Amino acid sequence: MDQSKWFYPIIVFIFSVLALAASLFLFIYWYMEVSTGLEAVVARFNLEPSVVLESRTWVVILVLSLLVGIILLGIFTIFVYNLKTYQLYRLQQNFINNFTHELKTPVTSLKLFLETLSKHELSRAEQLKYIGYMIQDVNRLSDNIGRILDLARIESKSYPGEFVESDLVAVVGIFCETNGHLFPGCEINIHNPAEKSFNYPVNVYLFEMLLMNLLTNAVKYNSSESPRIDITFDLHKQSMNLRFEDNGIGIEKTQIKKIFRKFYQVGQYKDMTAKGSGLGLHLVQNIARIHKGRVVAESKGNGKGSVFTLILPL
Amino acid sequence: MKNSGKKRILVIEDDIHIAEGLKLNLSLQGYDVMTAKDGISGLNEWKEWSPHLIVLDIMLPGIDGLSILQNIRLEDEQIPVLIISAKSEAHDRIMGLSFGVDDYLSKPFNLEEFLLRVERLLVRASWSLKEERAGTGKIFSGAYRFGDNIVDFEKSTAICRVGKVTLTEQELKLLKLFIANKGKPLSRRKLLEIGWGYTGAVTTRTVDNFIVRFRKYFEIDPKKPRYFKSLRVVGYIFDHD
Repeated sequence: MDQSKWFYPIIVFIFSVLALAASLFLFIYWYMEVSTGLEAVVARFNLEPSVVLESRTWVVILVLSLLVGIILLGIFTIFVYNLKTYQLYRLQQNFINNFTHELKTPVTSLKLFLETLSKHELSRAEQLKYIGYMIQDVNRLSDNIGRILDLARIESKSYPGEFVESDLVAVVGIFCETNGHLFPGCEINIHNPAEKSFNYPVNVYLFEMLLMNLLTNAVKYNSSESPRIDITFDLHKQSMNLRFEDNGIGIEKTQIKKIFRKFYQVGQYKDMTAKGSGLGLHLVQNIARIHKGRVVAESKGNGKGSVFTLILPL
Repeated sequence: MKNSGKKRILVIEDDIHIAEGLKLNLSLQGYDVMTAKDGISGLNEWKEWSPHLIVLDIMLPGIDGLSILQNIRLEDEQIPVLIISAKSEAHDRIMGLSFGVDDYLSKPFNLEEFLLRVERLLVRASWSLKEERAGTGKIFSGAYRFGDNIVDFEKSTAICRVGKVTLTEQELKLLKLFIANKGKPLSRRKLLEIGWGYTGAVTTRTVDNFIVRFRKYFEIDPKKPRYFKSLRVVGYIFDHD
Protein backbone atom coordinates (compact mmCIF):
# COMPACT_ATOMS: atom_id res chain seq x y z
CA MET A 1 0.00 0.00 0.00
CA ASP A 2 1.93 2.97 -1.20
CA GLN A 3 1.11 6.60 -1.60
CA SER A 4 -0.41 6.29 -5.07
CA LYS A 5 -2.89 3.61 -4.06
CA TRP A 6 -4.10 5.90 -1.31
CA PHE A 7 -5.96 8.01 -3.86
CA TYR A 8 -8.16 5.19 -5.08
CA PRO A 9 -10.56 4.96 -2.09
CA ILE A 10 -11.22 8.70 -2.22
CA ILE A 11 -11.81 8.65 -5.97
CA VAL A 12 -14.08 5.62 -5.68
CA PHE A 13 -15.98 7.26 -2.86
CA ILE A 14 -16.50 10.57 -4.66
CA PHE A 15 -17.42 8.80 -7.88
CA SER A 16 -19.97 6.59 -6.11
CA VAL A 17 -21.57 9.54 -4.36
CA LEU A 18 -21.81 11.46 -7.61
CA ALA A 19 -23.26 8.46 -9.41
CA LEU A 20 -25.78 8.00 -6.62
CA ALA A 21 -26.80 11.66 -6.62
CA ALA A 22 -27.09 11.61 -10.39
CA SER A 23 -29.24 8.49 -10.37
CA LEU A 24 -31.54 9.94 -7.70
CA PHE A 25 -31.98 13.09 -9.70
CA LEU A 26 -32.55 11.15 -12.93
CA PHE A 27 -35.05 8.76 -11.35
CA ILE A 28 -37.11 11.65 -10.06
CA TYR A 29 -36.85 13.50 -13.35
CA TRP A 30 -37.86 10.52 -15.48
CA TYR A 31 -40.60 9.64 -13.06
CA MET A 32 -42.02 13.13 -13.42
CA GLU A 33 -41.78 12.84 -17.20
CA VAL A 34 -43.52 9.49 -17.25
CA SER A 35 -46.09 10.81 -14.83
CA THR A 36 -46.95 13.83 -16.95
CA GLY A 37 -46.91 11.61 -20.03
CA LEU A 38 -49.39 9.24 -18.43
CA GLU A 39 -51.59 12.09 -17.34
CA ALA A 40 -51.63 13.35 -20.92
CA VAL A 41 -52.65 9.90 -22.15
CA VAL A 42 -55.38 9.69 -19.52
CA ALA A 43 -56.70 13.13 -20.52
CA ARG A 44 -56.52 12.28 -24.21
CA PHE A 45 -58.37 9.02 -24.03
CA ASN A 46 -60.63 10.18 -21.29
CA LEU A 47 -59.80 7.26 -19.10
CA GLU A 48 -60.73 7.04 -15.50
CA PRO A 49 -57.76 8.30 -13.66
CA SER A 50 -58.25 5.62 -11.05
CA VAL A 51 -57.93 2.88 -13.70
CA VAL A 52 -54.38 3.90 -14.37
CA LEU A 53 -52.25 3.42 -11.33
CA GLU A 54 -52.63 6.38 -9.12
CA SER A 55 -49.38 7.23 -7.74
CA ARG A 56 -48.45 9.81 -5.29
CA THR A 57 -45.39 11.62 -6.39
CA TRP A 58 -44.20 12.57 -2.98
CA VAL A 59 -44.38 9.01 -1.66
CA VAL A 60 -42.15 7.84 -4.47
CA ILE A 61 -39.64 10.61 -3.94
CA LEU A 62 -39.57 9.94 -0.23
CA VAL A 63 -39.00 6.22 -0.62
CA LEU A 64 -36.32 6.77 -3.26
CA SER A 65 -34.51 9.35 -1.17
CA LEU A 66 -34.63 7.10 1.86
CA LEU A 67 -33.12 4.19 -0.04
CA VAL A 68 -30.47 6.40 -1.56
CA GLY A 69 -29.72 7.78 1.87
CA ILE A 70 -29.17 4.30 3.21
CA ILE A 71 -26.87 3.40 0.32
CA LEU A 72 -24.94 6.61 0.89
CA LEU A 73 -24.52 5.81 4.55
CA GLY A 74 -23.28 2.36 3.62
CA ILE A 75 -20.70 3.72 1.20
CA PHE A 76 -19.53 6.27 3.72
CA THR A 77 -19.15 3.66 6.44
CA ILE A 78 -17.06 1.46 4.19
CA PHE A 79 -14.94 4.44 3.21
CA VAL A 80 -14.25 5.40 6.81
CA TYR A 81 -13.42 1.81 7.65
CA ASN A 82 -11.00 1.68 4.73
CA LEU A 83 -9.34 4.85 5.99
CA LYS A 84 -8.92 3.42 9.48
CA THR A 85 -7.49 0.21 8.09
CA TYR A 86 -4.95 2.16 6.09
CA GLN A 87 -4.02 4.24 9.12
CA LEU A 88 -3.50 1.12 11.18
CA TYR A 89 -1.41 -0.39 8.41
CA ARG A 90 0.80 2.68 8.31
CA LEU A 91 1.22 2.66 12.07
CA GLN A 92 2.05 -0.99 11.90
CA GLN A 93 4.71 -0.37 9.27
CA ASN A 94 6.17 2.42 11.36
CA PHE A 95 6.20 0.12 14.36
CA ILE A 96 7.69 -2.82 12.50
CA ASN A 97 10.48 -0.67 11.11
CA ASN A 98 11.29 0.83 14.46
CA PHE A 99 11.02 -2.47 16.25
CA THR A 100 13.23 -4.22 13.73
CA HIS A 101 15.89 -1.70 14.57
CA GLU A 102 15.22 -2.05 18.31
CA LEU A 103 15.68 -5.79 18.16
CA LYS A 104 18.51 -5.98 15.64
CA THR A 105 20.70 -3.38 17.32
CA PRO A 106 21.34 -5.22 20.60
CA VAL A 107 21.78 -8.48 18.68
CA THR A 108 24.37 -6.83 16.43
CA SER A 109 26.20 -5.49 19.45
CA LEU A 110 26.19 -8.88 21.15
CA LYS A 111 27.46 -10.65 18.07
CA LEU A 112 30.14 -8.03 17.54
CA PHE A 113 31.54 -8.26 21.06
CA LEU A 114 31.35 -12.04 21.22
CA GLU A 115 33.31 -12.31 17.98
CA THR A 116 35.75 -9.71 19.26
CA LEU A 117 36.37 -11.54 22.51
CA SER A 118 36.86 -14.75 20.63
CA LYS A 119 39.34 -13.18 18.24
CA HIS A 120 41.49 -11.04 20.53
CA GLU A 121 43.25 -11.47 23.82
CA LEU A 122 42.08 -8.55 25.87
CA SER A 123 42.96 -7.49 29.38
CA ARG A 124 40.60 -8.61 32.11
CA ALA A 125 39.51 -4.99 32.66
CA GLU A 126 38.59 -4.57 29.00
CA GLN A 127 36.86 -7.94 28.94
CA LEU A 128 34.75 -6.93 31.90
CA LYS A 129 33.82 -3.66 30.26
CA TYR A 130 32.59 -5.33 27.10
CA ILE A 131 30.85 -8.08 28.98
CA GLY A 132 29.02 -5.32 30.82
CA TYR A 133 27.84 -3.91 27.49
CA MET A 134 26.65 -7.32 26.43
CA ILE A 135 24.64 -7.75 29.59
CA GLN A 136 22.99 -4.40 28.97
CA ASP A 137 22.12 -5.48 25.45
CA VAL A 138 20.67 -8.76 26.59
CA ASN A 139 18.49 -6.90 29.06
CA ARG A 140 17.37 -4.53 26.36
CA LEU A 141 16.43 -7.43 24.12
CA SER A 142 14.72 -9.16 26.96
CA ASP A 143 12.59 -6.11 27.74
CA ASN A 144 11.49 -5.76 24.16
CA ILE A 145 10.63 -9.41 23.86
CA GLY A 146 8.77 -9.22 27.13
CA ARG A 147 6.65 -6.35 25.94
CA ILE A 148 5.67 -8.06 22.72
CA LEU A 149 4.77 -11.21 24.58
CA ASP A 150 2.72 -9.24 27.09
CA LEU A 151 0.80 -7.76 24.24
CA ALA A 152 0.24 -11.13 22.64
CA ARG A 153 -0.98 -12.58 25.92
CA ILE A 154 -3.40 -9.80 26.60
CA GLU A 155 -4.80 -9.86 23.11
CA SER A 156 -5.38 -13.58 23.21
CA LYS A 157 -6.74 -13.27 26.74
CA SER A 158 -4.45 -15.93 28.13
CA TYR A 159 -2.95 -14.29 31.17
CA PRO A 160 -2.32 -15.95 34.49
CA GLY A 161 -3.79 -14.99 37.82
CA GLU A 162 -7.26 -14.40 39.05
CA PHE A 163 -9.18 -11.35 40.12
CA VAL A 164 -8.72 -11.02 43.85
CA GLU A 165 -10.04 -8.24 46.03
CA SER A 166 -6.85 -6.49 47.11
CA ASP A 167 -5.74 -3.29 48.73
CA LEU A 168 -4.32 -1.25 45.85
CA VAL A 169 -2.25 0.91 48.18
CA ALA A 170 -0.46 -2.21 49.38
CA VAL A 171 -0.06 -3.58 45.85
CA VAL A 172 1.49 -0.36 44.58
CA GLY A 173 3.65 -0.06 47.66
CA ILE A 174 5.07 -3.56 47.34
CA PHE A 175 5.64 -3.08 43.61
CA CYS A 176 7.64 0.10 44.09
CA GLU A 177 9.74 -1.49 46.80
CA THR A 178 10.56 -4.64 44.83
CA ASN A 179 11.18 -2.85 41.57
CA GLY A 180 12.73 0.40 42.72
CA HIS A 181 16.11 -0.66 41.35
CA LEU A 182 14.69 -0.60 37.84
CA PHE A 183 14.17 3.14 38.08
CA PRO A 184 17.49 4.40 39.37
CA GLY A 185 17.80 8.08 40.03
CA CYS A 186 14.05 8.54 40.02
CA GLU A 187 12.16 9.60 43.10
CA ILE A 188 8.87 7.74 43.46
CA ASN A 189 6.42 8.95 46.09
CA ILE A 190 3.11 7.40 47.05
CA HIS A 191 0.48 9.68 48.54
CA ASN A 192 -2.62 8.45 50.26
CA PRO A 193 -4.27 11.53 51.74
CA ALA A 194 -7.41 9.67 52.75
CA GLU A 195 -5.27 7.22 54.68
CA LYS A 196 -7.71 4.47 53.82
CA SER A 197 -7.17 1.21 52.05
CA PHE A 198 -8.39 1.01 48.50
CA ASN A 199 -9.96 -2.37 47.90
CA TYR A 200 -10.67 -3.45 44.38
CA PRO A 201 -10.77 -6.76 42.52
CA VAL A 202 -7.53 -6.86 40.58
CA ASN A 203 -5.44 -9.32 38.68
CA VAL A 204 -2.10 -8.65 40.33
CA TYR A 205 -0.07 -9.93 37.34
CA LEU A 206 -1.81 -7.52 34.97
CA PHE A 207 -1.89 -4.66 37.43
CA GLU A 208 1.86 -4.89 37.95
CA MET A 209 2.29 -4.84 34.16
CA LEU A 210 0.29 -1.62 34.07
CA LEU A 211 2.40 -0.09 36.82
CA MET A 212 5.62 -1.20 35.13
CA ASN A 213 4.62 0.39 31.83
CA LEU A 214 3.47 3.68 33.36
CA LEU A 215 6.57 4.02 35.50
CA THR A 216 8.94 3.00 32.72
CA ASN A 217 7.38 5.63 30.49
CA ALA A 218 7.63 8.28 33.18
CA VAL A 219 11.34 7.60 33.50
CA LYS A 220 12.01 7.19 29.77
CA TYR A 221 10.26 10.37 28.65
CA ASN A 222 11.97 12.47 31.25
CA SER A 223 14.94 14.71 30.69
CA SER A 224 15.05 16.49 34.03
CA GLU A 225 18.00 16.35 36.41
CA SER A 226 15.87 14.91 39.17
CA PRO A 227 13.10 12.81 37.70
CA ARG A 228 10.14 12.43 39.99
CA ILE A 229 6.89 10.47 39.98
CA ASP A 230 4.04 11.11 42.42
CA ILE A 231 1.41 8.41 42.80
CA THR A 232 -1.74 9.66 44.51
CA PHE A 233 -4.81 7.75 45.59
CA ASP A 234 -7.99 9.76 45.11
CA LEU A 235 -11.33 8.49 46.28
CA HIS A 236 -14.35 9.96 44.53
CA LYS A 237 -18.03 9.19 44.87
CA GLN A 238 -18.27 6.96 41.86
CA SER A 239 -14.69 6.01 41.23
CA MET A 240 -11.27 5.37 42.61
CA ASN A 241 -8.62 7.43 40.89
CA LEU A 242 -4.93 6.61 40.81
CA ARG A 243 -2.87 9.57 39.61
CA PHE A 244 0.62 9.16 38.19
CA GLU A 245 2.17 12.58 37.95
CA ASP A 246 5.67 13.14 36.58
CA ASN A 247 7.99 16.02 35.74
CA GLY A 248 8.88 14.63 32.34
CA ILE A 249 8.81 16.03 28.83
CA GLY A 250 5.03 16.26 28.76
CA ILE A 251 2.63 15.56 25.90
CA GLU A 252 1.40 17.88 23.18
CA LYS A 253 -2.34 18.49 22.97
CA THR A 254 -2.56 16.92 19.53
CA GLN A 255 -0.98 13.71 20.77
CA ILE A 256 -2.94 13.20 23.97
CA LYS A 257 -5.60 10.94 22.53
CA LYS A 258 -3.31 9.25 20.02
CA ILE A 259 -0.70 7.91 22.43
CA PHE A 260 -3.01 5.12 23.57
CA ARG A 261 -3.37 3.78 20.06
CA LYS A 262 -1.71 0.51 19.24
CA PHE A 263 1.72 0.98 17.64
CA TYR A 264 1.50 4.74 18.04
CA GLN A 265 4.84 6.32 18.78
CA VAL A 266 5.43 10.00 19.27
CA GLY A 267 8.01 10.78 16.66
CA GLN A 268 8.93 8.87 13.55
CA TYR A 269 11.13 5.89 12.96
CA LYS A 270 12.65 7.76 10.02
CA ASP A 271 14.33 10.37 12.14
CA MET A 272 14.78 8.06 15.09
CA THR A 273 12.79 10.19 17.52
CA ALA A 274 10.49 7.28 18.21
CA LYS A 275 11.70 5.97 21.54
CA GLY A 276 9.19 3.49 22.74
CA SER A 277 7.71 0.37 21.25
CA GLY A 278 4.33 1.95 20.60
CA LEU A 279 2.78 -0.74 22.73
CA GLY A 280 3.12 0.39 26.34
CA LEU A 281 0.10 2.65 26.65
CA HIS A 282 -2.01 0.41 24.47
CA LEU A 283 -1.27 -2.35 26.97
CA VAL A 284 -2.07 -0.03 29.86
CA GLN A 285 -5.44 0.93 28.41
CA ASN A 286 -6.23 -2.69 27.67
CA ILE A 287 -5.46 -3.72 31.22
CA ALA A 288 -7.55 -0.85 32.58
CA ARG A 289 -10.43 -2.00 30.43
CA ILE A 290 -10.09 -5.57 31.64
CA HIS A 291 -10.50 -4.13 35.13
CA LYS A 292 -13.58 -2.25 33.95
CA GLY A 293 -11.77 1.07 34.21
CA ARG A 294 -9.88 3.41 31.92
CA VAL A 295 -6.80 5.59 31.77
CA VAL A 296 -6.71 9.24 30.78
CA ALA A 297 -3.70 11.39 30.06
CA GLU A 298 -3.30 15.07 30.80
CA SER A 299 -0.44 17.43 30.20
CA LYS A 300 0.10 21.16 30.25
CA GLY A 301 2.28 20.80 27.18
CA ASN A 302 5.83 20.17 26.10
CA GLY A 303 8.28 20.18 28.96
CA LYS A 304 5.57 20.51 31.56
CA GLY A 305 5.19 16.94 32.75
CA SER A 306 2.23 14.63 32.43
CA VAL A 307 -0.47 13.08 34.58
CA PHE A 308 -1.87 9.65 33.84
CA THR A 309 -5.01 8.83 35.82
CA LEU A 310 -6.34 5.31 36.22
CA ILE A 311 -10.08 5.54 36.87
CA LEU A 312 -11.68 2.49 38.46
CA PRO A 313 -15.44 2.59 38.89
CA LEU A 314 -16.92 1.67 42.25
CA MET B 1 47.81 12.37 13.08
CA LYS B 2 47.04 12.84 9.41
CA ASN B 3 50.45 11.85 8.22
CA SER B 4 50.93 8.82 10.43
CA GLY B 5 50.59 6.52 7.38
CA LYS B 6 47.69 4.73 8.98
CA LYS B 7 44.42 4.66 7.07
CA ARG B 8 41.70 6.75 8.66
CA ILE B 9 38.22 5.32 9.05
CA LEU B 10 35.18 7.31 10.12
CA VAL B 11 32.36 5.34 11.74
CA ILE B 12 28.96 7.06 11.78
CA GLU B 13 26.77 4.94 14.06
CA ASP B 14 24.33 6.02 16.74
CA ASP B 15 24.38 2.95 18.97
CA ILE B 16 27.30 3.50 21.36
CA HIS B 17 28.02 -0.18 21.91
CA ILE B 18 28.29 -0.97 18.24
CA ALA B 19 30.33 2.19 17.57
CA GLU B 20 32.78 1.32 20.31
CA GLY B 21 32.99 -2.30 19.19
CA LEU B 22 33.79 -1.26 15.62
CA LYS B 23 36.34 1.28 16.80
CA LEU B 24 38.03 -1.33 18.94
CA ASN B 25 38.26 -3.90 16.19
CA LEU B 26 39.36 -1.50 13.48
CA SER B 27 42.02 -0.03 15.78
CA LEU B 28 43.31 -3.49 16.55
CA GLN B 29 43.58 -4.03 12.78
CA GLY B 30 45.87 -1.02 12.59
CA TYR B 31 43.54 1.73 11.44
CA ASP B 32 42.94 5.17 12.90
CA VAL B 33 39.31 5.39 13.89
CA MET B 34 36.92 8.21 14.75
CA THR B 35 33.28 7.75 15.61
CA ALA B 36 30.30 10.08 15.20
CA LYS B 37 26.90 9.38 16.65
CA ASP B 38 24.73 11.34 14.24
CA GLY B 39 24.71 12.62 10.67
CA ILE B 40 25.71 16.20 11.29
CA SER B 41 28.70 15.49 13.49
CA GLY B 42 29.60 12.78 10.99
CA LEU B 43 29.66 15.33 8.17
CA ASN B 44 31.78 17.69 10.25
CA GLU B 45 34.28 14.94 11.05
CA TRP B 46 34.44 13.99 7.40
CA LYS B 47 35.21 17.56 6.36
CA GLU B 48 37.80 18.15 9.05
CA TRP B 49 39.46 14.79 9.24
CA SER B 50 39.37 13.53 5.61
CA PRO B 51 39.02 9.82 6.33
CA HIS B 52 39.98 7.21 3.76
CA LEU B 53 36.80 5.24 4.33
CA ILE B 54 33.41 5.82 5.91
CA VAL B 55 31.31 3.22 7.72
CA LEU B 56 27.75 4.51 7.79
CA ASP B 57 24.57 3.38 9.50
CA ILE B 58 21.44 4.33 7.60
CA MET B 59 19.13 4.80 10.56
CA LEU B 60 20.57 7.80 12.30
CA PRO B 61 18.84 10.31 14.56
CA GLY B 62 17.91 13.57 12.88
CA ILE B 63 18.99 13.18 9.29
CA ASP B 64 19.02 9.73 7.73
CA GLY B 65 22.19 8.09 6.48
CA LEU B 66 21.22 8.17 2.81
CA SER B 67 20.96 11.98 2.79
CA ILE B 68 24.37 12.13 4.43
CA LEU B 69 25.68 9.85 1.71
CA GLN B 70 24.25 12.07 -0.99
CA ASN B 71 25.86 15.10 0.55
CA ILE B 72 29.24 13.40 0.67
CA ARG B 73 28.94 12.14 -2.89
CA LEU B 74 28.31 15.66 -4.17
CA GLU B 75 31.82 16.59 -3.20
CA ASP B 76 33.65 13.31 -3.21
CA GLU B 77 32.59 10.56 -5.55
CA GLN B 78 35.54 8.38 -4.79
CA ILE B 79 35.69 7.93 -1.05
CA PRO B 80 34.62 4.36 -0.25
CA VAL B 81 31.47 4.13 1.83
CA LEU B 82 30.28 0.95 3.52
CA ILE B 83 26.74 0.90 4.87
CA ILE B 84 25.72 -1.22 7.84
CA SER B 85 22.00 -1.34 8.37
CA ALA B 86 19.25 -3.16 10.16
CA LYS B 87 17.21 -2.76 6.99
CA SER B 88 18.21 -5.64 4.82
CA GLU B 89 15.48 -5.99 2.23
CA ALA B 90 16.46 -5.92 -1.42
CA HIS B 91 14.84 -2.57 -2.00
CA ASP B 92 16.78 -1.05 0.92
CA ARG B 93 20.01 -2.33 -0.57
CA ILE B 94 19.02 -1.04 -3.99
CA MET B 95 18.31 2.40 -2.53
CA GLY B 96 21.72 2.47 -0.90
CA LEU B 97 23.53 1.28 -4.00
CA SER B 98 21.72 3.75 -6.23
CA PHE B 99 22.96 6.58 -4.05
CA GLY B 100 26.52 5.51 -4.59
CA VAL B 101 27.42 3.26 -1.71
CA ASP B 102 30.28 0.84 -2.28
CA ASP B 103 29.22 -1.98 -0.02
CA TYR B 104 26.18 -2.87 2.05
CA LEU B 105 26.20 -5.11 5.10
CA SER B 106 23.04 -5.92 6.99
CA LYS B 107 22.92 -6.18 10.75
CA PRO B 108 23.82 -8.36 12.47
CA PHE B 109 26.97 -8.86 10.47
CA ASN B 110 29.94 -11.15 10.81
CA LEU B 111 33.00 -9.39 12.21
CA GLU B 112 35.51 -11.11 9.93
CA GLU B 113 33.44 -10.33 6.87
CA PHE B 114 33.20 -6.70 7.91
CA LEU B 115 36.96 -6.39 8.42
CA LEU B 116 37.76 -8.07 5.11
CA ARG B 117 35.37 -5.84 3.19
CA VAL B 118 36.83 -2.74 4.79
CA GLU B 119 40.31 -3.84 3.84
CA ARG B 120 39.28 -4.60 0.27
CA LEU B 121 37.58 -1.22 -0.13
CA LEU B 122 40.69 0.58 1.11
CA VAL B 123 42.92 -1.35 -1.29
CA ARG B 124 40.70 -0.49 -4.26
CA ALA B 125 40.51 3.11 -3.18
CA SER B 126 44.27 3.44 -3.27
CA TRP B 127 44.27 2.14 -6.88
CA SER B 128 41.68 4.76 -7.82
CA LEU B 129 43.89 7.47 -6.40
CA LYS B 130 46.57 6.47 -8.88
CA GLU B 131 43.97 6.48 -11.66
CA GLU B 132 42.83 9.93 -10.72
CA ARG B 133 46.20 11.28 -11.58
CA ALA B 134 45.62 9.88 -15.04
CA GLY B 135 42.38 11.82 -15.15
CA THR B 136 39.77 9.08 -15.41
CA GLY B 137 37.11 7.47 -13.34
CA LYS B 138 34.70 10.19 -12.29
CA ILE B 139 30.99 10.11 -13.03
CA PHE B 140 30.89 13.81 -13.52
CA SER B 141 33.85 13.93 -15.88
CA GLY B 142 33.58 15.33 -19.32
CA ALA B 143 30.63 17.30 -20.49
CA TYR B 144 27.02 16.96 -19.49
CA ARG B 145 24.50 18.03 -22.07
CA PHE B 146 20.87 18.91 -21.78
CA GLY B 147 19.06 20.74 -24.54
CA ASP B 148 21.51 23.22 -26.02
CA ASN B 149 23.47 23.52 -22.80
CA ILE B 150 26.79 21.88 -22.07
CA VAL B 151 28.18 21.77 -18.55
CA ASP B 152 31.86 20.97 -18.02
CA PHE B 153 32.39 19.80 -14.46
CA GLU B 154 36.14 19.53 -14.81
CA LYS B 155 36.56 23.14 -15.87
CA SER B 156 33.60 24.44 -13.85
CA THR B 157 32.15 26.15 -16.88
CA ALA B 158 28.98 25.94 -18.89
CA ILE B 159 28.02 26.87 -22.43
CA CYS B 160 24.45 28.00 -22.29
CA ARG B 161 21.89 30.50 -23.40
CA VAL B 162 23.81 33.51 -22.18
CA GLY B 163 27.10 32.25 -23.59
CA LYS B 164 29.98 30.78 -21.66
CA VAL B 165 29.76 31.14 -17.86
CA THR B 166 31.99 30.08 -15.01
CA LEU B 167 30.03 28.25 -12.36
CA THR B 168 30.67 28.70 -8.67
CA GLU B 169 31.35 25.71 -6.44
CA GLN B 170 27.91 25.94 -4.93
CA GLU B 171 26.26 26.15 -8.35
CA LEU B 172 28.19 23.06 -9.45
CA LYS B 173 27.13 21.18 -6.34
CA LEU B 174 23.51 22.03 -6.86
CA LEU B 175 23.68 21.06 -10.54
CA LYS B 176 25.22 17.73 -9.64
CA LEU B 177 22.44 17.14 -7.15
CA PHE B 178 19.77 17.84 -9.73
CA ILE B 179 21.46 15.66 -12.34
CA ALA B 180 21.87 12.79 -9.90
CA ASN B 181 18.15 13.07 -9.18
CA LYS B 182 17.05 13.65 -12.75
CA GLY B 183 13.32 13.15 -13.08
CA LYS B 184 12.80 12.96 -9.32
CA PRO B 185 11.13 15.78 -7.43
CA LEU B 186 13.26 17.42 -4.75
CA SER B 187 11.81 19.48 -1.92
CA ARG B 188 13.38 22.81 -1.04
CA ARG B 189 14.29 21.42 2.33
CA LYS B 190 16.04 18.43 0.80
CA LEU B 191 17.93 20.68 -1.63
CA LEU B 192 18.98 22.82 1.28
CA GLU B 193 20.06 19.93 3.43
CA ILE B 194 21.98 17.99 0.82
CA GLY B 195 23.19 20.86 -1.34
CA TRP B 196 24.33 23.10 1.47
CA GLY B 197 25.25 20.40 3.95
CA TYR B 198 22.89 21.18 6.83
CA THR B 199 24.78 24.27 7.87
CA GLY B 200 21.54 25.85 8.96
CA ALA B 201 22.82 29.25 7.96
CA VAL B 202 20.92 29.25 4.68
CA THR B 203 17.20 29.58 4.00
CA THR B 204 15.01 28.12 1.29
CA ARG B 205 14.94 31.59 -0.29
CA THR B 206 18.54 30.97 -1.32
CA VAL B 207 17.48 27.79 -3.12
CA ASP B 208 14.86 29.80 -5.01
CA ASN B 209 17.49 32.37 -6.01
CA PHE B 210 19.75 29.67 -7.39
CA ILE B 211 16.87 28.26 -9.43
CA VAL B 212 16.22 31.71 -10.87
CA ARG B 213 19.89 31.87 -11.82
CA PHE B 214 19.84 28.41 -13.42
CA ARG B 215 16.77 29.31 -15.42
CA LYS B 216 18.46 32.47 -16.58
CA TYR B 217 21.45 30.46 -17.75
CA PHE B 218 19.92 27.31 -19.13
CA GLU B 219 16.31 27.90 -20.13
CA ILE B 220 15.28 29.17 -23.55
CA ASP B 221 12.44 31.00 -21.82
CA PRO B 222 13.10 31.44 -18.09
CA LYS B 223 9.42 32.18 -17.55
CA LYS B 224 8.44 28.82 -19.04
CA PRO B 225 11.09 26.49 -17.71
CA ARG B 226 11.62 23.19 -19.48
CA TYR B 227 14.45 21.78 -17.46
CA PHE B 228 14.19 23.28 -13.98
CA LYS B 229 10.49 23.03 -13.28
CA SER B 230 8.60 23.97 -10.13
CA LEU B 231 6.29 21.46 -8.56
CA ARG B 232 3.62 23.09 -6.43
CA VAL B 233 3.90 22.22 -2.75
CA VAL B 234 6.66 19.67 -3.47
CA GLY B 235 9.64 21.70 -4.73
CA TYR B 236 11.63 21.46 -7.93
CA ILE B 237 12.31 18.85 -10.56
CA PHE B 238 15.05 18.69 -13.18
CA ASP B 239 14.36 16.71 -16.30
CA HIS B 240 15.22 16.53 -19.95
CA ASP B 241 15.14 13.96 -22.76
